[in-house]
Amino acid sequence: MRTLIAPIALAFFAASGAQAQEATSQEPIRVGMSGGYVPFTFVEQDQLQGFEVDFMNAVGEEIGRPVEFVTMSFSGLIGALESNRIDTVANQITITPERQEAFVFSQPYVIDGAQVVVREGNAEIAGPEDLRGRSVAVNLGSNFEQLLRDLPYAEEIDIRTYESNIEQDVALGRVDAFVMDRVSSAVTIQESNLPLQLAGEPFSEIQNALPFRDDEEGRALRDEVDGAITTLKDTGALRDISVKWLGIDVTGSADAGSVAEPTSVESTAAETAPAE
Amino acid sequence: MGALDLDYMLGLVPVLLRYLPLTLAMAAGAMVLALVLAVALAMIRVLRVPVLDQLVQGFVSFFRGTPLLVQLFLFYYGLPQIIPAFSAINGVQAAVAGLTLHFSAYMAESIRAAILGVDRSQWEATQAVGMTQLQAMRRIILPQAARVAAPTLLNYFIDMIKSTSLAFTLGVTEMMGAAQKEAASSFRYFEAFLLVAIFYWTVVETLSIVQRRLETRMNKAFAR
Repeated sequence: MRTLIAPIALAFFAASGAQAQEATSQEPIRVGMSGGYVPFTFVEQDQLQGFEVDFMNAVGEEIGRPVEFVTMSFSGLIGALESNRIDTVANQITITPERQEAFVFSQPYVIDGAQVVVREGNAEIAGPEDLRGRSVAVNLGSNFEQLLRDLPYAEEIDIRTYESNIEQDVALGRVDAFVMDRVSSAVTIQESNLPLQLAGEPFSEIQNALPFRDDEEGRALRDEVDGAITTLKDTGALRDISVKWLGIDVTGSADAGSVAEPTSVESTAAETAPAE
Repeated sequence: MGALDLDYMLGLVPVLLRYLPLTLAMAAGAMVLALVLAVALAMIRVLRVPVLDQLVQGFVSFFRGTPLLVQLFLFYYGLPQIIPAFSAINGVQAAVAGLTLHFSAYMAESIRAAILGVDRSQWEATQAVGMTQLQAMRRIILPQAARVAAPTLLNYFIDMIKSTSLAFTLGVTEMMGAAQKEAASSFRYFEAFLLVAIFYWTVVETLSIVQRRLETRMNKAFAR
């Protein structure tokens, strides 16, 4: 039946613009992101914005190619990258050995930690070691899911994977905690007004970078983007973007590796969040 | 938390309105394609075209027997791994193709039932005046079957409009996708999802009114 449909469907959508296949320097870099991850990539009043958006635009400017943002559910991003629907994913993708087998990564542009977040007033969970026997929400396909599964007592944790809205389910008490990166956890608590709190210190350093397909084209783009990131780090542009959205520099631009204290996040939240 | 934020909801109205055309276009496009396909499938089954009949039965069985979401994922994420050329299909096209195939399976069955519901004497009459099977189908049988099938087909169209919301799982920002993203950044889930529900409801209600009018008109000739 496909043969019957294809010509009709193609004719029908010829106008909707099939993407050109070959990437030339004029072609936009197709960047996938979820559009639902405050403050890195999110939509407010139909406006896609956030750290990743500014970062990728800066990268695009540096290498002289326009950037086209494609939003889709987080768990679909890696599949879209693999199937050549996008060229990279700017969604705080953490470098892991599994992912390195399938993709080539740029240098890290965010160095962060994993954070347990609980409902406000929950004094029973003060860190990852207290997650035994608890239900914990993580985003489907995220590195935090793997992080939890790698804990020695993983079998005692009821890990629940979500497509979205993990914050809401913890606030409602449907699950005991969620695990996400520390920076967006802190900003989320500030901006959402949901009854949430950070539980203890971040527990694992994570390095986030841009993945590319492991083929000739992908590696070439990676090298180009990597150069741009180095420039952005040297000029301080990347630090400015980080401070603008997160209140602190987490990009490892100057003193790499250290996870800074979230004290200054409050002031950014006030700046970036619309008064509600 | 707490009270309903009406201002926030009102602020989202223009945002969702911007995505309404895409939702409607996907539904309308898929409906047209599904209708064409469904009529063809139904005719193959009614006329018992050898081989094709068996293929159609398999087709209908598969697309009725598996969830639309599974079909969309299979089509959009699965196929390109086997046949790389399929990655050229974008989310909107994949959603329309998925909706078309899925609903054509259902629609073919109700069109087939409507065709079979046309009185036998009508067939005999067409044979008596020397029409071929295809002529009879096009001139006599299908027009009568259409009247019978119309309400069911419009029901499928309503279902289709609502099913376009699944396209957001393929990365298409249609109404549901837009609402989901706004909710994820504002954390005002209730307002965003309530508003998108009202949008779908309004569209479907409008269509139901059209449906009722249409039925009255089509039945005029048969009123006693």
